[in-house]
Amino acid sequence: MTAITQDTPVRRYSLRLSWPLVIGGVILFAGLLLAIVPELAAPYQPNAFDYKSILKPPSWAHPFGTDNFGRDMLSRVIYAYRVDMEIAVFATSFPFVFGTLIGALVGYYGGWAEAVLGRIVDALITFPLLVLVIAIVAILGPGLSNMYIAFGIIYWVFYARLIAGDMKVQRHLDYAAAGKVMGYSDLRIILRHLLPNVIVGGIVYWMTDMALAILIGSSLGYLGLGVQPPASEWGVLIAGGKNYMSTAWWITIFPGISIVLAGLGFSLFGDGLADLLRPRR
Amino acid sequence: MRASFRNMAAALLVAAGIVGSLSNAAEAVTRGGTLVYGRYADSLFLEPVLNDANVDIWILSNIYDTLLLPTDDGKSVQPGLATAWKVADDGKSVTLTLRDNIKFSDGSPITAEDVQWSLKRAATPNNGIWQFMVESIDDVVIQDPKTVVLKLKHTDPAILTALTVFNTSIMPKKLFEAAPGATDADKAKAFAEHPVGSGPFILQSWQRNSEMKLVRNPYYWRQGEDGKPLPYLDGITFEVIPDDATRLLKLKSGELDGAEFIPYSRVEELKADANLNMVLFPSTRVEYATLNVRPKLSDGSDNPLSNEKVRQALNYAVDKDGIIQVVTHGVGTPMTSFMSTATPFHSGTTPLFPVDVEKAKQLLKDAGYPNGFKTSIFALSGNEDEINISTTLQQMWAQIGVTLDIQQVDNATRTAKYRAGDFTMRLGAWTDDIADPNEIASYFVYSKNIGALHTSWKNDEVDQLFEQSQQELDPKKRADDYAKIQATYNATGPIVPLYETPYPVALKKSVKGFVQIPLGNNIFSSTYIEK
Amino acid sequence: MAGLGYILRRVALMVPTLVVILVVTFVIVRSLPGDPASAMIGDRATDQDAARINAELGLDRSLPVQFIFFVERVFRGDLGTSFSIKLPVSEVIADRLPATLILTAMAAVFALLLAVPLAFLAAIKRNRVEDVAIRSAFQVGLSMPVFYTGLVLLTVLGAGLHWFPVGGYGDDLASHFYHLFLPALAIAVTLAAILMRSLRSAIITVLDAEYLDFARSKGLANRVIILRHVLRNAFISTVTLLGLHIGTVVGSAVITETVFAIPGIGRLMIDSIYARDYPMVQGLTLVLAVLVSVIFLATDLIQAALDPRIAR
Repeated sequence: MTAITQDTPVRRYSLRLSWPLVIGGVILFAGLLLAIVPELAAPYQPNAFDYKSILKPPSWAHPFGTDNFGRDMLSRVIYAYRVDMEIAVFATSFPFVFGTLIGALVGYYGGWAEAVLGRIVDALITFPLLVLVIAIVAILGPGLSNMYIAFGIIYWVFYARLIAGDMKVQRHLDYAAAGKVMGYSDLRIILRHLLPNVIVGGIVYWMTDMALAILIGSSLGYLGLGVQPPASEWGVLIAGGKNYMSTAWWITIFPGISIVLAGLGFSLFGDGLADLLRPRR
Repeated sequence: MRASFRNMAAALLVAAGIVGSLSNAAEAVTRGGTLVYGRYADSLFLEPVLNDANVDIWILSNIYDTLLLPTDDGKSVQPGLATAWKVADDGKSVTLTLRDNIKFSDGSPITAEDVQWSLKRAATPNNGIWQFMVESIDDVVIQDPKTVVLKLKHTDPAILTALTVFNTSIMPKKLFEAAPGATDADKAKAFAEHPVGSGPFILQSWQRNSEMKLVRNPYYWRQGEDGKPLPYLDGITFEVIPDDATRLLKLKSGELDGAEFIPYSRVEELKADANLNMVLFPSTRVEYATLNVRPKLSDGSDNPLSNEKVRQALNYAVDKDGIIQVVTHGVGTPMTSFMSTATPFHSGTTPLFPVDVEKAKQLLKDAGYPNGFKTSIFALSGNEDEINISTTLQQMWAQIGVTLDIQQVDNATRTAKYRAGDFTMRLGAWTDDIADPNEIASYFVYSKNIGALHTSWKNDEVDQLFEQSQQELDPKKRADDYAKIQATYNATGPIVPLYETPYPVALKKSVKGFVQIPLGNNIFSSTYIEK
Repeated sequence: MAGLGYILRRVALMVPTLVVILVVTFVIVRSLPGDPASAMIGDRATDQDAARINAELGLDRSLPVQFIFFVERVFRGDLGTSFSIKLPVSEVIADRLPATLILTAMAAVFALLLAVPLAFLAAIKRNRVEDVAIRSAFQVGLSMPVFYTGLVLLTVLGAGLHWFPVGGYGDDLASHFYHLFLPALAIAVTLAAILMRSLRSAIITVLDAEYLDFARSKGLANRVIILRHVLRNAFISTVTLLGLHIGTVVGSAVITETVFAIPGIGRLMIDSIYARDYPMVQGLTLVLAVLVSVIFLATDLIQAALDPRIAR
């Protein structure tokens, strides 16, 4: 018999298909399709130069206009889906998983582990991520995989700190103590009882993080350290169109809208997921 | 008949005189005001001998002065702090007569001792990276308070031009030596914080990476059109705005009076702006790709670029007009030699390697690469021009089967690999620092300086031509030497010449009298703001 | 309870962190390909020039020796002389730090003003029109790279309407605030989006947990108690997040300072890395580390004060 006290969250997973979950899911799924088979949607090759159609405004032939090489912007934006989805997922997955685990363990056990984590967190967060990425990319060479490495080295601490903080609070609640009284192993308590309660914050942040990863990718594109030409990535497209903002607005606007849509997909889906997982009475 | 003819002539002369004076009145300079100029990067070290960078060189001439000055077209010399000069018949000494009443900006007189000390300091071996320009100076002798004689180690056809270059600026010996510090470098650092020169302006304040303020030097020797001393301006404020888009925005909003390095993509737009003058100053700037011609690359693999036919193929496959159109939006012009048309002794009238894709394919086949090969190029990260150039090259070379991998790296990385010869290809740009072809030739062509742009390209005949031209005083023979050097290098050299571009500067319509000479120096001494 | 002992202990713990940071920076910066001479003198120089300059900068000595020299000088309070600017590092940092500090502070304030009230609104009206509108609006903020936001603000509010100057920093304190308004706003847009999302989620969690109990047992009069409880939790989360994201803000400052031509340490950091200006990078990292550690300590103390469960 489980002692249910005022603080025990009761799991009740009714499959509530809230509309954010659905809409977010649809957007993400569409994005996934575009990422896997861009050829189906893109009317042109993304790297096809066309010197006769440089900087043309949106038209039937080129719905998103062309850039300074005459490349079709719609195709470039679609092909960029693959790159940016990859960035969003790969850059943030390891930090999420690793950070959550470390944070859960540290938050539960506390003590010297917490002191050490605290120091590591402090040390890593001190460095502005961008600066560290620049340094790492300078050492290892430009390109996406090195950006992931940089993310992996630093970003897990956000999750760790977040989860550890929440875990510390949960640990002291009665149901956790109840579990110990019941003789459950520490690992079981952490994974089955506490983690689902704390992970909500982590998931919500993960969705934010994906959007942030795309933004950092684009800042790196601004500095020339991200994806290398002629590959297209939304941030690189925006950075490249910076000087054409008054003369060829379409080069920056459409990739920008794509980032908004993709980010919206992530965050709606994430919020829906969080609603699902959040303990209900 | 004759009388009426004379009357008519007289009447015409009078009329012309009236019209002449009217137009003079319209061109009268207005004194006063502070010019706000937008720069893309801040200077680092305002010291003539020990500085390293264009960002310093191009404004040094506003604070310091040299014995001779370059003419506005950058091709010959005119009087500066020296009014007369004579090269001896044997070419091994130069006698210079100093101007009367010249003073430093603190009011102290410029003496022959200052001249002697400054020139000897510039010529000291290993003192700064520009020493090579005056390496022929053996000694500087004071003949009398107004006459200084340079004794040369050997004949040097470029010595007069060298006396217009920034590193021979005349500096105050007593003030410099009184600066705190044990070594010349330490004293230079201290001195450069409050520099004292004899140029048209004085450094008033310097907020690093933000704002540099110069004020008028009341002791400047040059006279303006109105008979009073230059400069016309009360001062200049340099604002550092590294982002192109922001710099232009600030100019268009009226907060800047002028801005340098306008991106090529915006030139047309600014030309159409009624409030601005979009000026393209002729320059010595050339843009090119450097190819490593060592037989093996640093990873041990064979280097296709060591084959002359391959280099020619790469050259023929590039549509220079296409690159000029796409990258510079028509602002650039094709190169007719590896040196710019503004460099003295430039020869060549036809654009190099007019595009011929079929010929390129054939040359590759002849060289033994019928299916092309893979190669890579270093581009400067975040540099829009280099990204555009390399993307275009990538596409153009794909047509002949050459796959180009673009690697964006930062300046320090690229320079280090370049100097070590650890590169396959890289993009580069060059501007002359002296109005003589010997500098560009010694870097691009001569094997004994930096191994022909660190490519290890070598041609003994050309090396010899260069060495002999360095001491050849007869300009005709020198022109001949350089014609031969250019012919050989242009046909077989280790570069892919891309384009020449002018310096794109945008100024408010009210700003007059500014010039950026082909060497890159920004000359503000005759600039004025019309009311 | 957070007392003087706790504070002193945390300060003492900062020291090993700083030492580790110093060592790591020292190693990283010297692992960057290229060397200061290459960065400084560019393509024109010869190998002799490069060797000479590197020797003048003391780089021809072995790494451990260089490190010892560096540490010894730090203890004397001397951070060395910058390779590229040729002025003492501490002087340059002191000169450039205020701009970034003011920018960061203003950005944080703007972000809080934007995020906190709207997060509350979104949480209370969960999944209704207000919530969707707010979240969509903030999503746009999260999707715009800061250089793009900055450029748009400059174009519209600066060059267009002339409400603000186009970049720059100004001459006195008042004009500093004026010049930094737009760049702070550009950073705040993204920061607010990050804060809003997590805040909203945290508020919802607390509301869900507390509301039903109280509503069942006490009645509507205790809305106040709920609100106070929610507020306190929200404040804790916000403060934690803000502290965590100081690094993000300083990182955005790098790009923002470039776009807006502000002479701050963000740009200085990047420029120094590109210039391989070892003393400057090391000095900057040390100063930044101390600053951020202090901010962390502050946020931890606030958190501990508000939530006694944590301080043990």
